Amino acid sequence: MKIQQIGPENLERVMLLETALFPTDSWSEKSMGSELAASDGYYIGAFDSELVGYAGLKTIPGSFLSDIQTIGVSVESQGKGIGRALMLDLLARAKALGSEAVMLEVRADNPTAIGLYMSLGFEQIDVRKRYYQPDGVDALIMRLEIKQPIVLGIESTCDETGVGIVRGNRLLANALHSSMDEHSKYGGVVPEVAARAHLEAIQPTLDKALKEAGIDLSEVDAIAVANGPGLAGALMVGIGAAKGLALAHDKPLYAVNHLVGHVGADVLERGSVELPTIALLVSGGHTSLLLVRDLLSDVVLLGETIDDAAGEAFDKTARLLGLPYPGGPEIDMLAKAGDPKAVRFPRGLTLPKDMEKHRYDFSFSGLKTAVARHVEKAEANGEVINKADIAASFREAVVDVLLTKAINACQEFGLMRLLLGGGVVANQRLREVATKRCAEQGIELRIPRFDLCTDNGAMIAALGAQLVMAGKSPSGLGFGAESTLDIRQIQTP
Amino acid sequence: MLLAIDTSAGTSAAVLDGEKLLSYSFFEDPFGHAENIGMAISQVLNEAGVSAAQITSVAIGRGPAPYTGLRVGMAAGLGFATARNIAAFGVITLDALALANPDGKILVTFDAKRKELFARTYLDSVATSDPWVMNPVELENFDDHRRITQSCNAELVGRFAVYAAANGLDLSDVSALYLRSPDVSPSAPKKVSG
Repeated sequence: MKIQQIGPENLERVMLLETALFPTDSWSEKSMGSELAASDGYYIGAFDSELVGYAGLKTIPGSFLSDIQTIGVSVESQGKGIGRALMLDLLARAKALGSEAVMLEVRADNPTAIGLYMSLGFEQIDVRKRYYQPDGVDALIMRLEIKQPIVLGIESTCDETGVGIVRGNRLLANALHSSMDEHSKYGGVVPEVAARAHLEAIQPTLDKALKEAGIDLSEVDAIAVANGPGLAGALMVGIGAAKGLALAHDKPLYAVNHLVGHVGADVLERGSVELPTIALLVSGGHTSLLLVRDLLSDVVLLGETIDDAAGEAFDKTARLLGLPYPGGPEIDMLAKAGDPKAVRFPRGLTLPKDMEKHRYDFSFSGLKTAVARHVEKAEANGEVINKADIAASFREAVVDVLLTKAINACQEFGLMRLLLGGGVVANQRLREVATKRCAEQGIELRIPRFDLCTDNGAMIAALGAQLVMAGKSPSGLGFGAESTLDIRQIQTP
Repeated sequence: MLLAIDTSAGTSAAVLDGEKLLSYSFFEDPFGHAENIGMAISQVLNEAGVSAAQITSVAIGRGPAPYTGLRVGMAAGLGFATARNIAAFGVITLDALALANPDGKILVTFDAKRKELFARTYLDSVATSDPWVMNPVELENFDDHRRITQSCNAELVGRFAVYAAANGLDLSDVSALYLRSPDVSPSAPKKVSG
């Protein structure tokens, strides 16, 4: 006997069983067909040369609740534990989806089924009188609590010290300490300054997160830490702290990929990450275009920046225009009054010859130089430069190339879904253009709220929780900081 | 029961019960702090036969020492102490070396890279100067001091914490002892066209 997922192609056989099993109140073929095709449903079948049992679960994303929709085993195959096997599969799925409870209804005159559910831990919480018609039989409402793992995540890849706490897919705390102000006088993130700030911030940020979540560390089920990619000295502070925490309470420890964490942040927003998806991560340290088919096992790097990250380009251009660090918000503000078409700045790696080799890669170094040349030339000619126009034109060039390549990827891979992440997502123009272009192309755009887009501990905790919920083994104690960690290394063993 | 951690040179941990050293671990790799810190702590707990819950305080070496590695042990110690809600004590590693070499006037130095030394002077283990970054040409001014050049480890950090507790010394500062500012100066935009 084998259990596997079923769909509309199994409709005929399912209906045969359904009408035989539930002669008076079976589902219509039409409703069964739409259930089998529903995106929030999960239907499985038990096969013993042919389909002998079926069951379905419905989980509305963000509800933290799953419903057992139906379960049936052919009369000849009953009493062999097939019903139990189907239920266990559905419950495992509910757990992996982050549900905190599973509900079901059962006919009060079906002691076998009630016995099965009780043995699985379901408890009766209510009765609906005469629910099953025309028989006039009561429905018992039963409920199973699922304890989702509480995971504490530590983020220290760059200039943000983050400690987040989640329970399953639910956000409990997201404490953050940023050393951005300390970097402003240098015009960019200085690794030693960042690392020093992490050590100073780690204890207060931990305390803050625990207070926010209202829990004690002993209640945490696992610790997760981003071990790369990022600044080595900064990463090491987070790793040291995570190992200390884990050993202090003998908790399993998961070393996770920071970039995949950005993708996973969306589970906290919606209760799940809709997959597969194209993901565009843009920050001061990264500009990466990803194809994500499975958060825990199948993330492909389609392209990334070959020189400066997009956020870095904003910082450097801001400095050129005499604006303070960080440059993104400053340029965004200034650009509001400018004409984005005033100067046609180059779009890196979009010429046909570049597209052959760097289809999904980015380059912002040439753009930054073009802005510098433009400013210098104007100054040499004694012209007054219009900073607002330059800011708007520069921003347009960055946004244009980012979204053109991201949307190309969606179309070429036939995945009409785009997830944005990283600090640059705060950019007003990027959001505007993304919203407009995705709508035009029929692409579903997802942008987690800002504090889940920038570097944060909650996303690391969320990815850790996904690993725990999927039953993955913890990492060993011996992992180190991997400043250039490969995107395919979602968890370091 | 005290857990001591020091990553000023290699990666080391120790468990002390009062003056008695119950266990000690040392990993030499000067670049393997992040990798080894977990094993170092786990080993000493196992060897001493104590659980994390039996540890009542943590002592951490706060340098001066190469900071990238130093911070790993400090972060682990602070994490452990926060997790168990127990006290953390910060030990200046030069002081721990002075305590281990008690007699007379001594000068403790430790490689500060860039042809400089971290240094502090002591008389019978009591500091007679603040720690500073020394140019080796200054060494001749300390001919009357016995010079100590060994590196620190968790046992010495732990012993200093025990000594400090007995002598009422304040070790509540658990920040890294930085004797240099971060290696940067604000940069000006560069010209790109000639």
